[in-house]
Amino acid sequence: MSTTEPVATKRVAYYKGCLASLSAKELDSSTKALAPLVGMELVELESVTCCGAGDIHEAEPDYYLHLNARILAYAEATGCDMLLTVCNVCTLNLRQANFMLQGDSELLARVNENLTTVGVPAYSGNVDVRHLLWEIAEGEGYEKLKEIAHRGLKGLKVAPFYGCQILRPSKIMGFEDPDRPWSLERIIEACGGEAIDYPAKIKCCGFPIIAAREETALGEVIQPVEQAIEAGADVMVTPCPLCHLSLDAWQQKLEASTGRTFKMPILHLAQLVGVAAGLEEAELKFKRHIVDPRPALERLEV
Amino acid sequence: MKVGLKVWRYDSVSGERALREYEIDAPEEATLLDCLDIVKDRHDGSLAYRKSCRMMICGSCGMRMDGAAVLACKTRMYDIAQEGRVPVISAMGNLPIVKDLVVDMDPFWSKFKAMWPWLEPGYERPDDGREYRISQERMNVVHKEALCINCGCCVSECNAMESDPEFLGPQALAKGMRFVGDPRDSATVERLERYNQEHGIWDCTRCYFCNERCPKGVDPRDAIAKLGAESIRLGIDRDMGAKHAKWFVRSAETTGWLREEELIPKTQGYVSAIKQLKFGASLARHGKVRPVPIPHTARDVGEARNLRKVVRGQDRQGALGHVQGERALARLAHGNAGESLEEIYARPGAAPRPFLPGEGQGSLTQADVTPGKEPTRKRGEA
Repeated sequence: MSTTEPVATKRVAYYKGCLASLSAKELDSSTKALAPLVGMELVELESVTCCGAGDIHEAEPDYYLHLNARILAYAEATGCDMLLTVCNVCTLNLRQANFMLQGDSELLARVNENLTTVGVPAYSGNVDVRHLLWEIAEGEGYEKLKEIAHRGLKGLKVAPFYGCQILRPSKIMGFEDPDRPWSLERIIEACGGEAIDYPAKIKCCGFPIIAAREETALGEVIQPVEQAIEAGADVMVTPCPLCHLSLDAWQQKLEASTGRTFKMPILHLAQLVGVAAGLEEAELKFKRHIVDPRPALERLEV
Repeated sequence: MKVGLKVWRYDSVSGERALREYEIDAPEEATLLDCLDIVKDRHDGSLAYRKSCRMMICGSCGMRMDGAAVLACKTRMYDIAQEGRVPVISAMGNLPIVKDLVVDMDPFWSKFKAMWPWLEPGYERPDDGREYRISQERMNVVHKEALCINCGCCVSECNAMESDPEFLGPQALAKGMRFVGDPRDSATVERLERYNQEHGIWDCTRCYFCNERCPKGVDPRDAIAKLGAESIRLGIDRDMGAKHAKWFVRSAETTGWLREEELIPKTQGYVSAIKQLKFGASLARHGKVRPVPIPHTARDVGEARNLRKVVRGQDRQGALGHVQGERALARLAHGNAGESLEEIYARPGAAPRPFLPGEGQGSLTQADVTPGKEPTRKRGEA
């Protein structure tokens, strides 16, 4: 059991992104409840916008760069050296823009001139964009995770689903082998769960094209859901709210198009750790899920 | 060194499929292709695979190692052999297998041809009658796309193509960008109209497997993003994918955050969106969407709006917005393992490190081996 020694807290700028602000509010509340337990004080950014989700990157790449530079500038203005993300897509967009600016002083100068023109503080390039997953998969965050996960998942079979933009492009993400990732498995096991292995855990959930090419996207969503069920998973966990929405909300469309029943509960990463740490429904907000995870988690009740 | 390989053998006539294991002796610098040559020469002459140049430029030897597409001639086996790992070698994905590691490239080439992979010259001959010249800066727009060797490693792993086999795919679209971005080409609008069709650029699901696998640094996903940016710059935005992308821009400059609830109608149109009402209601029951979308607005969103006005006046629209970041991103080491070049070359079995100026290695220079020329100096000598 952990000692009563107070844990050192790290101040980090917190970028929740669009989904955790609206359709995945449960991700925001569980992240906020979890953060102090793993030694982080979240400094919430108020003046920031959407990262563009890859769509502004595609439609108006110069605007994408400036929007993300603006987010980085406000993160830097908090005095924190880390910007914490809870979404794969935000992580890629912000890290990519950050590397563009850090690696090219002329470009940084031009962007800063534009930022200051509209009243945004200039960005000097001293912020590191990190996903919650990486913060609790190793180092101090991992040590604290092991201490707080005392309630445990009691052998719950958990299928990790990474999604794409936390692994690839690896030269921008750079945390783990994109073909043999280990971070989610390590966290699941530290929480006393059993990590289930299946091939589609590193593949695409289809979400970026789910509105414009639903049929193609559904052909992608079905793979992880089907494989996780086949491998005997009780629940799936993902570090990305877009993957979550795709797997959770579009599962009913998979059921309609295949005539099969899946009912696979999908947990956000912060929720899974939160369950192990004994957080309550008020923070975890499982009632907001389309597929209710509570029946699967019931046997954890003592 | 001893190298173990498990190879998925396949005979399309009999339909037989079997995993065969081989153990061979290979020199320490051997690539996967060298190892397959040894298998074929000394152990099993019936093994089928493609190869030609052996030096990463012909694009023939694309195949999968442990499920990931690689060029066999670029893949050194030393580290794997040292770990005692026996990798599984199989044919590339998303293409029909002819035999063993040989795939039928016809679907690949038909998509390639659909891109009009030739230049439609639209420039006038300069007055002096001499050649038409382009600045390096204008060719930088396509310098990555021009590196493609048509090996198919990106296509092998394309997640969207697994679901929609008709998708033009990363290789063809990167080739398309190679011409759209070429200042000598005059068919930009016609090309973009064609690439914007149903199985075109907006089919890409952004899984980034293509960037991860490309052995030449083409980054096909980035090429597709450039095509998207050029399409929208030129007003070719009828596809739902383009409308979807534009809605993010509109959201960012009006409320800052994505106006999620309006995304489906703005993408699919209000008529199609009505069909989604039942689905929308199921989301609303769980608080995922609200019955009446009241945008929540980010503080100081006026800055984001003004920022767009400022940058739109600065001549970095379309693909140029992507190109400006490429120099910085190119500095990131692939895989980002944090090794320096010195460490990479110091690894056992690594390719010999090129001599650097000032390093007297006593080897021959070009002058030494050119007939009729006096030997001048040794490499590295001042």
